[in-house]
Amino acid sequence: MPDDSLQPDPDEDLVARARNGDTRAFDALILKYGEKLYGLVYNMTSHKEDTHDLLQDIFAKAYHSLPRFRAQSSFYTWIYQIAVNMTLNFLKKRKRRSGMSLNELDASFQDDPALVDASHLANPEKQSKLHELQKRLNEAMLSLSEAHRTVVTMFDIQGIPHAEIARILKVSEGTVRSRLHYAHLHLQSKLQDYWE
Amino acid sequence: MKPTVEEIGTLLALKRHERPEDGYFDGFLREFHQRLRAEEVQQKGLAGWWRKTSAWFSDLGASKWVYSGGLAYAAAVVVMMTIPRGQEVVPAAPTPVSHEVKSIEPAAVEQLDALDLRPSTQGSTGEQEF
Repeated sequence: MPDDSLQPDPDEDLVARARNGDTRAFDALILKYGEKLYGLVYNMTSHKEDTHDLLQDIFAKAYHSLPRFRAQSSFYTWIYQIAVNMTLNFLKKRKRRSGMSLNELDASFQDDPALVDASHLANPEKQSKLHELQKRLNEAMLSLSEAHRTVVTMFDIQGIPHAEIARILKVSEGTVRSRLHYAHLHLQSKLQDYWE
Repeated sequence: MKPTVEEIGTLLALKRHERPEDGYFDGFLREFHQRLRAEEVQQKGLAGWWRKTSAWFSDLGASKWVYSGGLAYAAAVVVMMTIPRGQEVVPAAPTPVSHEVKSIEPAAVEQLDALDLRPSTQGSTGEQEF
């Protein structure tokens, strides 16, 4: 994980080349951060098509804004800031537009295979319980506020440290920890009926 | 029974392995480049139109002033016709006015006698009483 304060930006060369119009250098940046940003946007929107469209918009915005990138933070932090801001704006618009319910969201999100554990495959009963738990976890995630879902996605799912999340969201580390605390309490209470 | 924070963290960490399907980013990059090209063509289109218009205008020679005047006049007419006019003033309904004259009672003589009319209270500036 790049730390802005300690080391130089590992993407400095690619960014400089992309800024001079080298589209292959920008492709390399897309391939480097695409998967992480896909995970971030997908876990926040719960919709594959929205994730795809948003990711296109995020990289297009970053490409056009490269001349204004002053390297005060790493490229990684900068593009994460763009992704988080654009995703939060998108969620606000989506909420205003349709008041989307859980049922309208991607069915695959509530039924994703992330929790399929190979050790449980031989035990259908345990597998079924795990499957149910997985569904409840995704539902609980969707019931979090956007600010709380953002920190849970970044910290628990993507493994980004508190300090880096604070830099990306431009809030204090204390705020990140506080949001995580309340988000975890919410998830605990939502999952208590399904936990043995 | 409630799961602990660590257990919640472990569950969520399993979602870290979620990835788009294989080959997703090949298609993604193709679409991205198509988008950039389309944006470039659009920008060139606008810039090209502006270049052609200004070149045509500068080739007109002295007559360009006549065209400019005509264009400015046409623009002024369009602006005057499109700007919404002020709403007509509707006269307010007359409000009934009472013409009845009410008499004001004169001040009582006792009240005037009670007034302090000594020099110090008559506004004689610069005079002080010791």
